[in-house]
Amino acid sequence: MKVYSLSVILAPPNGTSTVLSAASDLSSFSFYQKGSVGEFMSFFSKTVAERTPQTQRQSVQENNYTAHVYNRGGAEQLVGVIITDQEYPVRPAFSLLTKVLDDFASKVSQSSYSNPSAISFPEINTYIQKYQDPRQADAIMKVQQELDETKIVLHKTIESVLQRGEKLDNLVERSNALSMQSKAFYKTAKKQNSCCVIM
Amino acid sequence: MPVQDRTNEFRACVESIRTRSSLPARGSDAKQRLLQSHGKSGGKSDFSRMAAGIGKDISSTNLKLGKLAQLAKRKTLFDDRPVEISELTFIIKQDIANINKQIAGLQSYVKQRNAQGNSNSPEGKQIDEHNHNVVMLLQSKLANTSMGFKDVLEIRTQNMKESKDRTEQFMFSTASAANQAPSNPMGDGSPRLNSKGKGRAPQNGDILALNLDSAEEGTASENGGAFQQMQLVEQQDSYIQSRSTAIESIESTIAELGQIFTQLATMVAEQRETVQRIDADTIDIASNVSGAQRELLKYYASISSNRWLMLKVFGVLIVFVSDPFRSLCRVREADITNARLQFLIFILVS
Repeated sequence: MKVYSLSVILAPPNGTSTVLSAASDLSSFSFYQKGSVGEFMSFFSKTVAERTPQTQRQSVQENNYTAHVYNRGGAEQLVGVIITDQEYPVRPAFSLLTKVLDDFASKVSQSSYSNPSAISFPEINTYIQKYQDPRQADAIMKVQQELDETKIVLHKTIESVLQRGEKLDNLVERSNALSMQSKAFYKTAKKQNSCCVIM
Repeated sequence: MPVQDRTNEFRACVESIRTRSSLPARGSDAKQRLLQSHGKSGGKSDFSRMAAGIGKDISSTNLKLGKLAQLAKRKTLFDDRPVEISELTFIIKQDIANINKQIAGLQSYVKQRNAQGNSNSPEGKQIDEHNHNVVMLLQSKLANTSMGFKDVLEIRTQNMKESKDRTEQFMFSTASAANQAPSNPMGDGSPRLNSKGKGRAPQNGDILALNLDSAEEGTASENGGAFQQMQLVEQQDSYIQSRSTAIESIESTIAELGQIFTQLATMVAEQRETVQRIDADTIDIASNVSGAQRELLKYYASISSNRWLMLKVFGVLIVFVSDPFRSLCRVREADITNARLQFLIFILVS
């Protein structure tokens, strides 16, 4: 489950799109492949960004890679593209895109869109690293995971409570028997006193 | 004779079968004529005939469903026989729709007779209740059949997906695009057929048709991103839907956790009573043992202090025993002393 690249693209509806900010994690490829794979990723991102209509989400599959695209449109006409492998769960990918785009739109002013190389958005790198494990990064998945763990702990607790119940039943029986025996003991001792007064 | 002319026997057989098959019809006609005088009882045999017919249809549909399940479970790569499966699916769907209509007709028949004001007498009430129960039973049987049908279709779509993946493995990516197209008609066909068949089910109010529709739609829409337009709209919805399902699952997990907690609390509360019993028992044991110890101490004290009394008693006894030895000659006084001795011993022993 890996994220290969994450990019924010400016895509006005009339054609040319420019990459405003991109981050990629190509550590799984060998050194000589990294260059070509990186170029492929950026080309792929730009193509699908151009082909996604406004306020639409789309997922495109190409060999082993899946690109999830979210065209936010609006005033800034931003598109977020994330390229992952096929195992990566779809919903957190889109929520990541939404988060990245909102963050980008709030941090980077619209005037600097015309000068892509001057845009500095280092958070995109932290995002891509954090979302390599979607279960931890995505809020919903994290909550679900914690809930499942809690459920397991509770099941164990219930089992130990059942065992406690068994032991308590055992104790009840034994204390009952002991009580009977001590009562008999008391009676016998008392009988000793009342019977033979002289001797 | 190479050729025997057995037409007469054949005719006789046909006659006998005709008379045999006409007897029940005549019998039910006679019953109807007899019972027409009771008015509503004539309707009762009508109702039972319709119910029996519906029951037979349901059982035959179940048989066909069993056959379809057999076919759908096959996991071979090539010899799939999709034509047969789709034909059988279509037939079963038609049967279910038919049975649905019949049950609806039966229900309206029952309501019509209820509206005739027959429910005043206790017999009438029982008959109405019986009819109502029979209708409920048939509806539940139909619901089970449709559930089974839905399961079989799900298995079928799963197996188709698996076989598509396996063909992809063997024939890589060029064939995958080609395979997506033919698998889609099946995926789109069956949800549409299903939604039509189950659309009539909500009349009865017993069968959950809505979940069925959305489930089938979900499987259809996940079948590839090749068809742009329709898939776009479905993708928009499916993102939001997947978010809502994820959150719903979280909600249900939290509810489950709440239930587990209450169960835990109940169990511990039950055990509290046991613990109280143990507590009471231990207190009893403590008091008994301390009381017994007191008695033993008293006994010991009485024993140790009693020895002086016993010495005195023995002294008196010796005195009395030695007395008869001295007064052997004095017989009368011996009698008196013997009597005194016996009296003293009696007092001592008691």
